[in-house]
Amino acid sequence: MDPLAGAGLGLGLVVIGAGIGIGKLAAGTAEGVARQPSAASQIVGATNLALFLLEGVAILAEVFCLLIVLFKK
Amino acid sequence: MPFFLAMTQGSEHAQEAFDAGKVIIGHVSNTAHEHALFVLPTVFGIDFSVTKHVFMLWLVAAIIFVTVTALVRGYVRQTHRVPTGPMNVLEVGVEFIRDTVISPSIGHDWVDAWTPLILTFFVFILGANVIGLIPIFDVLGLINHYFIHAGEGSFIDRLVHGSSTATGNFNVTAGLAVITFFAIIVAGTRAHGFIRHALNLVPKGLPLPVTIFLVPIEILGMLVKPFALTMRLAANMTGGHIAILAILSFVFIFSSMLNSAGAGIGVGLAFSVPLAAAISGLEIIVVLVQAYVFTLLSAVFIGMAIDSHH
Repeated sequence: MDPLAGAGLGLGLVVIGAGIGIGKLAAGTAEGVARQPSAASQIVGATNLALFLLEGVAILAEVFCLLIVLFKK
Repeated sequence: MPFFLAMTQGSEHAQEAFDAGKVIIGHVSNTAHEHALFVLPTVFGIDFSVTKHVFMLWLVAAIIFVTVTALVRGYVRQTHRVPTGPMNVLEVGVEFIRDTVISPSIGHDWVDAWTPLILTFFVFILGANVIGLIPIFDVLGLINHYFIHAGEGSFIDRLVHGSSTATGNFNVTAGLAVITFFAIIVAGTRAHGFIRHALNLVPKGLPLPVTIFLVPIEILGMLVKPFALTMRLAANMTGGHIAILAILSFVFIFSSMLNSAGAGIGVGLAFSVPLAAAISGLEIIVVLVQAYVFTLLSAVFIGMAIDSHH
């Protein structure tokens, strides 16, 4: 299995993982705000942190895939 | 050569076919060390020559400094406390960052201590991102090609090549993240003392094996957080530019494949230019969000060091 195919597959899996995670976070936030609109800012604030940490993990994985492509010798 | 000038060589059978990869990489990367803008001496093995990204850092810093200083001086000098004109925008921005980003995370004891740093991050990253999005240097390249005709290795020629987004370079964002790294340590030390801050890394009330297991993980986390800040900002900025450039290269790929400038113009008008304009609009959102995220995460990490009770 040549490295480029591995990097491409890895990238796709990262996007799937990030998509599912961020989707669940967004769904939880929307539901929480719908139940208790007065706590909206607190709920959004609690979601923000997890959101950006997850996005950071996804970007780290993308960077490593790019490294595979660039340094595949 | 400047991107859209390849168009003029499209109709004749060009010696070099259009190499999209090389052009795109040339447009999102820094100028090479050999083609630095101002050549400076090498001190202690570090080459201090000024490349385009360093030049953009200075340019952004100068623009922000002049703008903010002029606005605030005008406001301080007036007699009534209500701000007028552009000072309103600055005040809205500062209050937004202070009240929604800094205060909730850092707590009102330390707000005044850390607001300058966090605000500097926000304004600087926003300024550097936005100035990278405005194609001033491409217009300068057009003017250079048709009017000035500066030589091959001259200052203007080197100024025009390379990317103008300073924060697209991971070295720049790594510098900012290193500041955050030390800010976290300084914040914890000022709040609790150095030893207490170091002991606060692992949560209390856990059984001993778990605590010992957590120590290397927390140390790793201390290093990974600034690394993630670095790569997030750099990858988002560079990725946006690569997307815009890749869509615009369709024009030249088609024109060199079908050997006619008309095909290129057709593809450009029908597909490339509208889509590239739409993605540039998306880029504006990404620029704002990425500056906000860097700022928010720095504030949250500093807050976690100051107030480690949750």
